[in-house]
Amino acid sequence: MIGLRKVAARLLGGRPPVGTTPAEEVIRENKWRLLRYRREGAPLKHRTPVLLVPSLINRHYVLDLLPGRSFAEYMVQAGHDVFLLDWGTPGPEDRFLTFDTICDRYLGRALRATCRAAGADKAHLLGYCLGGTLTTIHAAAHPERVASLVALAAPINFHDQGLLSIWTRSRAFDVDALVDAFGNAPWPLMQASFHLLKPTLNLVKLKQLVERSADDEFLDSFFAIETWGADNISFPGDCYRRYIRALYQGNELLQGSFTLSGRPVRLEDVRCPTLAVTFQHDHIVPPESCRVLLDRVGSEVTRQIDLSGGHVGAVVSRRAATGLWPQLSAWWAEHELAEAPKAPPARSKKRPDGDRARART
Amino acid sequence: MFWDAYKKSFDAWEKATADLMEVWLRSPLVLEPAGTMLTAAMKAKSMSDKASAMWWASLGLPTKRDQERTLHALNELESRLMDLEEQLDSKRG
Repeated sequence: MIGLRKVAARLLGGRPPVGTTPAEEVIRENKWRLLRYRREGAPLKHRTPVLLVPSLINRHYVLDLLPGRSFAEYMVQAGHDVFLLDWGTPGPEDRFLTFDTICDRYLGRALRATCRAAGADKAHLLGYCLGGTLTTIHAAAHPERVASLVALAAPINFHDQGLLSIWTRSRAFDVDALVDAFGNAPWPLMQASFHLLKPTLNLVKLKQLVERSADDEFLDSFFAIETWGADNISFPGDCYRRYIRALYQGNELLQGSFTLSGRPVRLEDVRCPTLAVTFQHDHIVPPESCRVLLDRVGSEVTRQIDLSGGHVGAVVSRRAATGLWPQLSAWWAEHELAEAPKAPPARSKKRPDGDRARART
Repeated sequence: MFWDAYKKSFDAWEKATADLMEVWLRSPLVLEPAGTMLTAAMKAKSMSDKASAMWWASLGLPTKRDQERTLHALNELESRLMDLEEQLDSKRG
């Protein structure tokens, strides 16, 4: 009964405090903006900045979920200079935005602005989900500013056995009809597709909610993630058309025939240290779809972190704060380019050994 | 006791249902007609939008698409200016 009262209080209490880590806007263009998280007393231990690139179709605050449960906040506390690309909300006029504009011009400008603001030559890139596909393509086409690449549950091989791959390759799916009708690929349609990937998921969540309704920490996370999950963004039309045709249907990135602004994109041109993070129960991006990146890149240093959990939970859960996040911080520290500035000694963070990580050098 | 039994039966039902639905959702027998219906609905929407745009244009007024193109051109112009600014900065620096 107490638990149900707590649930009701949260339902009536308005929006959870998502995306509240203090940040300043570095640059803005069209709808996207580049955020730089303020350190507010946390020492800067690593000079090479980190640029986080979320998916185009989800809000950026999945990487800054709640105070005390924020990936970006954790990285700032760990001494990294953290930037985040917020894609914003496309307007009807953005139906004409091309894949090249987003992946080459916008991402390129964000990366250059990150380096300029941090006074560095290169930045670490982390791309989550579709953001990982974009960062991988960008790193292959413009390797000069990328210190290291993290593909976090990023689809690279689009011809996998996942449902999204099967649906988009179905003869009956007409991407032109969709873009011509709506302009931008509408978020309700995409959200419905994601729900169809696991139609019983909402019932499972409801059961979990009843079961753990007395656990305040669980409820905070649950409502924050649900808020984020229901807050989707439409996909710019022309960009979506190319994404489906070239990547999902043609699998051109893996086949080496993909081009970015007329320039061929070959995964072997990615020569920086590359890390693929995969999740064993990821029903949106099957682990093998991301892991294949490591077989194709030209990097001398590659690593895979394979964790249990799903596409979102494994990135934002309590377990991520003690498992995935410290491993990513350690990865960036390991591949630091410049000498770290002198800073007061910070608490050491023990690297967890519960998850499988394998290195290939 | 009752809750444990409920949980077990729910889990069993959920797994069986999810597996069965996944089989359906992979099947061309479901995908083909669903895709065809969706495509037909989208084409109908396109045609209706086109007809209303033609009527609007016949009055000499800019259509929704005209406005979208103009706004997009302005955004492109802004991008080009930012490119130029960057180039100037790099030459100065």
